[in-house]
Amino acid sequence: MSTSTVSTNTLNASTSVLLDGRLEVVHAGIDAVAEAPRSTGATVTLVDFEPPSGGDPRRMTLLSEVLSGPMAPEIDAANARALARLLASRPHLVGIGIARDVIPGMAEDLFLHAGPPVTWERMCGPMRGAVIGGLLHEGRAKSVEEATTLAASGAVRFDPCHHHDAVGPMAGLVTPSMPVFIVEDRGGERAGTRTFCTLNEGLGKVLRYGAFSEEVLARLEFMRDTLAPVLSAALALRGPIDLKHLMAQALQMGDEGHNRNRAGTSLLFRELAPAIVRATEDRERAARVLEFVNGNDHFYLNLSMPMGKCMLKAAEGESLSSLVTVMARNGTDFGIQVASMPGRWFTGPALQVRGLYFPGFTEADANPDIGDSAITETAGFGGFAMGAAPAIVQFVGGSAEDALAATRAMRRITLGANSGFAIPALGFAGTPTGIDLRLVEERNLLPQINTGIAHRDPGVGQVGAGLVNPPWEAFHAALEALAEHVRAAAPPPRA
Amino acid sequence: MSTLVLVRPGCYQDSARLMQVSRELAAVPGVTEAVAMMGTETNRRLLADAGFPKAELAGATPLDMIVALRAQSPEALDTVQAALDGLLAGRGASVASGGVAAGGGRPRTVAEALEAHPDANLVSVAVPGLYAAFVAHRALDAGRSVFLFSDNVSIADEVALKRRASDRGLLVMGPDCGTAILSGVGLGFANRVERGPVGIVGASGTGIQELSCLLDRKGVGISHAIGTGSRDLSEAVDGMMTEAGLALLARDPETRCVLLVAKHPAESVARRLHVVLAKLGKPVTVRYLGEPARGAVDGVVYAGSLDEAAESAAKWVGARPSPEVAASVEPEEGPGPGQSSGQVRLVGLFGGGSLAAEARCVLAASGLETVVPAEKLSGHAPLPPGNLIVDTGDDAYTVGRPHPMVDQTVRCELIRAAGADLSVRVLLLDLVLGDGAHPDPAPELVSCVVAARAARGGRPLAVVVSVCGSRRDPQGTARQEDLLRRAGIHVASSAALAAAEAAALLPRVREEVAR
Repeated sequence: MSTSTVSTNTLNASTSVLLDGRLEVVHAGIDAVAEAPRSTGATVTLVDFEPPSGGDPRRMTLLSEVLSGPMAPEIDAANARALARLLASRPHLVGIGIARDVIPGMAEDLFLHAGPPVTWERMCGPMRGAVIGGLLHEGRAKSVEEATTLAASGAVRFDPCHHHDAVGPMAGLVTPSMPVFIVEDRGGERAGTRTFCTLNEGLGKVLRYGAFSEEVLARLEFMRDTLAPVLSAALALRGPIDLKHLMAQALQMGDEGHNRNRAGTSLLFRELAPAIVRATEDRERAARVLEFVNGNDHFYLNLSMPMGKCMLKAAEGESLSSLVTVMARNGTDFGIQVASMPGRWFTGPALQVRGLYFPGFTEADANPDIGDSAITETAGFGGFAMGAAPAIVQFVGGSAEDALAATRAMRRITLGANSGFAIPALGFAGTPTGIDLRLVEERNLLPQINTGIAHRDPGVGQVGAGLVNPPWEAFHAALEALAEHVRAAAPPPRA
Repeated sequence: MSTLVLVRPGCYQDSARLMQVSRELAAVPGVTEAVAMMGTETNRRLLADAGFPKAELAGATPLDMIVALRAQSPEALDTVQAALDGLLAGRGASVASGGVAAGGGRPRTVAEALEAHPDANLVSVAVPGLYAAFVAHRALDAGRSVFLFSDNVSIADEVALKRRASDRGLLVMGPDCGTAILSGVGLGFANRVERGPVGIVGASGTGIQELSCLLDRKGVGISHAIGTGSRDLSEAVDGMMTEAGLALLARDPETRCVLLVAKHPAESVARRLHVVLAKLGKPVTVRYLGEPARGAVDGVVYAGSLDEAAESAAKWVGARPSPEVAASVEPEEGPGPGQSSGQVRLVGLFGGGSLAAEARCVLAASGLETVVPAEKLSGHAPLPPGNLIVDTGDDAYTVGRPHPMVDQTVRCELIRAAGADLSVRVLLLDLVLGDGAHPDPAPELVSCVVAARAARGGRPLAVVVSVCGSRRDPQGTARQEDLLRRAGIHVASSAALAAAEAAALLPRVREEVAR
């Protein structure tokens, strides 16, 4: 039996306004019901209603609990704190190290890969190809056959990059001897947080797409023996590079930081070139490094990714928060993580990318969605900043208006906007940032991810690029877990 | 016979739209049956039970529209696809593609609509019951009061919503709230009545409509009419919103007297509310439908009918009392041959539930016992015995179709069935006008009555209709009444008067038959 009553002095200001003759109505449902207020003088806004959470009654109850239940204000507050920390982080490129020396928990028998955990048995073609290439590169095997047997034998352990504060594009393979960028948070409460990513190999036949030919292995050696030492010395001379500052400029030059990195790469080149020249005695060696960076439009991707990871690490661990901190794929499964439940994966099947194919390839050649690069969308750029990248709008339908619409749509599922990442064509609005799992469910709208497409067979490489969404299963599972987490954190009900 | 199941993914449509699609596809030549439904579990089961292939229904979700069709030939089905495309043209359907929508166009959620319109102060909800509580909670999250038209909301959800609203000083009018008038703005089914000094709080939609129209006929206006939902005075809900509404009216400077109307209040709630009413600081008249008059108790007047309640309020605000309307009229119809007096009876077919209750009460007072059939009546089966009172707005009659105030199809079938039954001598009906109701109901009602009478081989059928309408209603109340009168239908200005008139007609008929 209820004891709550409304006395005249507790009525809300908006309620007394109802009787003051200024009725402004928002109406959801059968349009005809809105006819009465409309024809009797009220302003009526019609909602194009859709059942939340796919109309599933059980999930809707959970969703209502976390959006409107007694703990909802605390979830909102937790999200505000998580988002504030995400936005306050200042990732800097501080150096280059060798994986085994700098990545926490790295070991000689450990290979890191993209996405949620996966066994050799369940690995897709390109990821297996990358593992084979990694074993050859590390000198653990002399032939493809030997590498395959070794990989299947359990002689190397596999672990997600994300379990070691690292991220990797496509297969995302990190082996112990690979050089990695070191990105460090230089601002906010979580200053000192470090994240890691390998150096980008370029396009075509590359390890991250599962290629392991002589050419691929030779490039990896060049990267380890020439590129990394030269960049490392240059960085030491120049000092740390503010990646957010660089990203902000790149967004105003037509990049979105995932499928287009030409501006970011150029800006990085400008930042590094003088120091490379000064730090390298052998002019030919310096020139080869500059040529390599200049020749690879995606060089900057491997910095935008650990930058995103670094920003999201700042949000991680906020109890009750529904902010999504990881979206990652291993080519078999798609996994997400949520700030309040760090380390817990919620997965579903990796989906096919809807995209454009290089000449000679079709959908039949495509591997399902793969790579940690969706960390860019998670951190509020990539597909979420599509409106900044009119040059690649063919992925979203072809017109610049579609690109702007894509960015606006993502604002519907995010907690805020990153004013540091302004999009000129949207009146310098910040990029949509901080995916709220609850809003994804309420609005039946999945994050949009821009991505490359890998050939399904090992050794072939990239065959196209396009758009993909996470599977609903991952978000549905995360919603269930969040509701449980929130219930566990709620104070016991009064007897 | 060929069947076809079409699934349109991510194509959510409201029930009104689905009915329209079903109707229009059924009109395609050669199509014998067309059903458009959203792919909820219940609907999928229904269609499978109706013989549509399970496998084709299996993948559909509540966000997908299913169109199930039967036709005389496969060729007929070919044209249906194009017809469906035409019907759906212009309706955004991008749920599944999950991306490039938004930007311009209608907001897709209440939360977003309120962000875009921060001055909006009321959220009106008419979504299917399954989703209604979710949406109403989202309005409360944003600090807005709710007009909850949807029905089929659980009592637990209702209590949770109202408790939350109470804690925040907001109103939740509903669920199953048919009517409200706030500062002259109508919500749901509402009549265009003048503004004035009488404030109404009501757990009954047609009760509010009848009161406001009766006052309108007396030239007395309404300050506000706050609907609270049909279950607000149940023990579980404990009159939470009735009390909130009363508190609002108590301090509203325009409101000089207060009317409260409800069906069957729980005793404990009525007792508690009495204390609130007695201390309200303004004159109060109460009409608990189905209950006898109790006069003034601690200054609170408990009226015996809606007419009496309206009259009492009019007196409070100093309006000239209306002359008593004579309840008896001369029957125009003679007796039918071969009828024995025992078979002469009355059937009441109502669109407004409260009006049905009011009529029953008046008939009982005139010594006429009536029955509310336990089973849903069908136009194709014989009517059960006795004097019948039927609320065709009841859930049993409105599944998958609009309210009888909007769509008279079901009531017309029953009127014809009553006409075909020669023992039925008096037909008692209501006609509710105003915004939200049928745009021009009288011609259709008249043609039903004409058809019903035509099937009786010259045996007469007396018809009494109460018209609930204001002078400014869009249908033209005077015109509607005139159309009815010209068809030889008795027109009364309230359900109580109509019932009294019908009650007076029946014994006359009986006497004549006996003679």
